Formats: sequence, C-alpha cells, structure tokens
Amino acid sequence: MNEIGGIPLFYLEFGDIVAYFSPFTLALFLLALVFSVFVIVSRPERQIDIAFGADAFFAKDISLAELRFRRFMAIACGLACMGAMVTGDVFDFTLFVSLVGICNVGIVAAVKNHHVQDAAYQYGLVALAGTVPLFSAAAIVVTTTGSLSMLELASPGAPAVPLIARALLVLGVMGEGMAPFYAAKAEMFRAPGAPYVIMCSLSSLLIFLRVTEVVLLL
Amino acid sequence: MTPATQKSRALAIAVVSALAGITATALTLAGALPPHADAAVLVIAFPAFVLGLYLYWMAREGEADIPFVGY
Amino acid sequence: MIAELLFGTFFGLLLLGIHRKVIARIQRRPGPPVWQEILHMLKFSFKTTWVPATASAALFVGVVLVAIGIWTAALAVVLSGGSLLIVFAVYMLHKIVEHGFGLSSGSPYGKFGGVRSVISAASEIPLFVSVAGIALFTRSLIISDIVAYQEVHGPLLLTVPLAGLAMYLVLLSKMPFGPFSIVESKELVSGYKTEHFGVWRAGLEVCNGLKTYVLLTTFLLVFVGTMPFLFLLVGMLVLVVSLSFVCALCPMLSPYDSVTVQTIIAGLMLAYVSILVVVS
Repeated sequence: MNEIGGIPLFYLEFGDIVAYFSPFTLALFLLALVFSVFVIVSRPERQIDIAFGADAFFAKDISLAELRFRRFMAIACGLACMGAMVTGDVFDFTLFVSLVGICNVGIVAAVKNHHVQDAAYQYGLVALAGTVPLFSAAAIVVTTTGSLSMLELASPGAPAVPLIARALLVLGVMGEGMAPFYAAKAEMFRAPGAPYVIMCSLSSLLIFLRVTEVVLLL
Repeated sequence: MTPATQKSRALAIAVVSALAGITATALTLAGALPPHADAAVLVIAFPAFVLGLYLYWMAREGEADIPFVGY
Repeated sequence: MIAELLFGTFFGLLLLGIHRKVIARIQRRPGPPVWQEILHMLKFSFKTTWVPATASAALFVGVVLVAIGIWTAALAVVLSGGSLLIVFAVYMLHKIVEHGFGLSSGSPYGKFGGVRSVISAASEIPLFVSVAGIALFTRSLIISDIVAYQEVHGPLLLTVPLAGLAMYLVLLSKMPFGPFSIVESKELVSGYKTEHFGVWRAGLEVCNGLKTYVLLTTFLLVFVGTMPFLFLLVGMLVLVVSLSFVCALCPMLSPYDSVTVQTIIAGLMLAYVSILVVVS
C-alpha cells in the first residue's frame, strides 16, 4: 500500500530529510496554511456572556499584550502543523507533534480565567505524558529498521516496522489531543479569541489525520 | 465604501471566479490542463463565486428602509 | 466539473428536503415541500447581510469559503477516484468548520454549538474503522481501486457489513434532526449556525447540499460499487429515506448521552476491526 494518499506530486529535500507533497499531505498542508493566515489577518471576536440573574450581558475584550502572545503561539502552532503534515521523516514528525502540544498550551495559557488555566494545565500533563510513547515509537523504528525515512520504509523490500512502534505512535498522537484524552481540551475552548482557539482543535485533527497515513504507510 | 461600490465589487468577484472556473473546465475538457488543476481552480473559484453572486444580488443600491420603531 | 458541482449542490439540497418531508410524514405532519431546502438557500441569499460588530470578521466570512471549498475538493476527489483518506480528512475537517462558525461570532449560542461539535470527536472513529476494514480487503485506499475490487469480488457491503454499518452511523451523525445532531439543537437557537445569517447562511446551505451529495455518493461507491448514474441517484434516495426513518423515530440525545453512545459505538467498532486484523 504505497499510495495511501495518492501519488506524491513533488518532493522537497532538506539533506536526507525529504518532505513529500501527495494530494493528501498537500491538502492538509494547505488547510493548516489557510487557518494560519486567518490567525494573522483576523482580529479576535468579542465574546458575549450573559450575566445570570440579570437582564444583562457583557463583552470580553482581549488586551493587546495577550493578543500578541497568543497570536504568536497560534502562528507557531500553524507552522508546526504544516511541518508535521508534509515531513517524510518519523523523528521529524514526532518532534513537530510534540511542538504542536506545547503551542496548544501556549495559546490558552495567557487567558486569565481559572477554568481555562486548569484545563491547559491538565492538557499539558497529558501532552507531556504523550511524548514518551511518541519518541519511543521513533526510537523503536530506527533501532529495528535502521532508517527513519517514511519513503524508504514504505518501499517494497524494506524491513518491516514492528506493530508496537505503530501502536505507540498512535498512542502518542492521541495523547496530544484526540479522543478520549480530548476531554481535557474541551474546557480550553471557553477561552475567547476564536482564530487562536480554533488552531488548537485544527492542529489535533490534522496530526491525527496525518498519523493515520503514517501508520498505514510504514 | 458606498453600497454601489460594494455591489460592483461583489459582481467583479463573481464574474472573475466564474470565468476562471469555466476556463479551467474548458481547458481540461480540451486536454490542455490536467484534471487536478481544474479541481484546484474550482476549490477556490466556486466558494468565491457563490458568495460574490449572493452578495451582489443581495446588495441594495438605494436608500435603506426606515426601520420599524413600533407604534 | 462545473456541471457536477452545481448538480451535486441542488440534488443534495433536494435530498435534505425529502429528508424533512419523510420525517414530517412519519410524525403525521404535512411537512414542507420537498424543494424547501433549495428555496431556503435562495431565500437567505436575498436577505440583507452584514458582519456582526462582535465577530472576528475575517474568520466569520472566511470559514464560509472554507466550508464550500473543502466539500468542492471532496467532490473532485470522489469524481476522479482519488484517495478515500482525503474524503475522510474533509469529513473530519468539517468539524473545524462547525467550530469556526460557532466561535467566530462571539455569540454564546454559537459558541456552545461549536464546542458541542468538538466534544463529539468520537463520532469520527467509526469512519476510521470502516476505512481500516476496507483497506484490509482491498489493500488500497484509492477509490478507483476499491471500485475495481468490487467488480471482481462483489459489493463490500456483503464482505464487511459492519464497516458499512460504521459508515452508515457516520452519515447518520451528520444528518439534521437526527439523534446525534446536538450541534444545532434548538435549546441553542440554531447551534453553530445561529449568527450566520443572510448570504453567509446561504453559503452554509450550499455546503450542506454538497456535503450530503458527496457523503452519500462515497458510501454507495465504496460499499456497493460502480453503477449507472440513475441507479446512483435512486440509491441515494433510498439511503436518505432510511436515514429519515431513524431520525424521525429517535429523539435527539442530550449532549452527554450523545457522546457516551458515540464512544460506545466507537469502542465496539475498534474491537471489530482488531478481530478482522487478527483473523486476516
């Protein structure tokens, strides 16, 4: 099964690390790019909250300093996502995924709301724990096959990647923000600042989609 | 921006994206473009065409109605 | 591809209209005419439109473009017999679109709709299971290969019926008025759609029509195989009527129950695919 996401359209070589753009990875890359552009060009929305017990509502504003920090984190998250989408190297992929986890905490960490802070802290712990299986997977791949290149490992005649490595890779990505560990993330969406918060959920979905391809490819 | 310029801008978006889409499909049918290029053009042109067209025929050029303020 | 795109949008909206009509008849109401959803789309497109003062303007408008764009891409992939994984990706990214619709306006109703869409992340796992089940037999995820496989070995619906059921549940969780449609439930006004009015809503209707058409076509191509165009349309109609029966007879679950049920289904499906892997 070499053409999971279609035949690669072109390759981008960085030394021995090859990023490849198949219709699948290219589509995911472009989506990450589009939402990163939204982060850059759009102002955050002013979230309206209803005051309970009164016939009133109030709008939350994001201060400029907070906006700058969160926008920076969201852009970093977008870049990490784009990297994770197209890289053809298992270790690179795990690095980008853990970077996405860190950026996700960063995006909401500046919000002064204790529910959000709690959720970010809990999510941070899960993401931290998730990096252990993630990097173990990369380590197992390199020790058993002697290569980290997805293209090499997918070619016919390449040594087989053990099932445990694939399982650990999926577990690691799940820890970075898929169901069932997703629960910790739901509370983070209380935070105002739609373009930045969307980056949190977009990045998890994108890396989950990519890991599906990686696991089927290896 | 006046309502009239907004309206003509919406029309321009609709016309340009429609022309781009039709050209891409025609060139693909003639064999001058690969099918995925046609798809790539339409992914951008179709949403732009839909919103451009709708914003064009939604936009009013004259004075807005006086809102109903109650009896 | 333009003809297919326009046909898909209008036929998808017609199917959604038939969906409403069937539900209404089962519940002994007269129901709207079957072309109501097409009229809806046109009606919204003529309404006065602006961007709310509290909204994040670029995202508010951009997410409508993204919504139509991703399903146009999905249609292109299905028509050209590309990778099933891309259709799968678009389906999952529709969740982000719903989230974007909900959050970008700043309205609490929209926000809750968007958050509900994100917490029901378990609804995508059955799709992953059906994809994995198919890949075990066909050894490929390219739609044209899957169709070719079925010409030799018969419909996949008979080979892996539970994978077909998983995909059917995925269709069900995206149908309006169904047991899992908590994202647009009426206690949230219209959920994530609440603040997108006028032209933006008309754009969303275009996306919904296209989405219905693409998902039903994918189901039929992947589980039944290639067939004459007229049969494909009849097959879609049959699928929609069967979905309408489920939607009409099942009450909408509470958000908590919806997530629990979806998680249980996802668990069962994962167990099924692990058994398939061990057996094969």
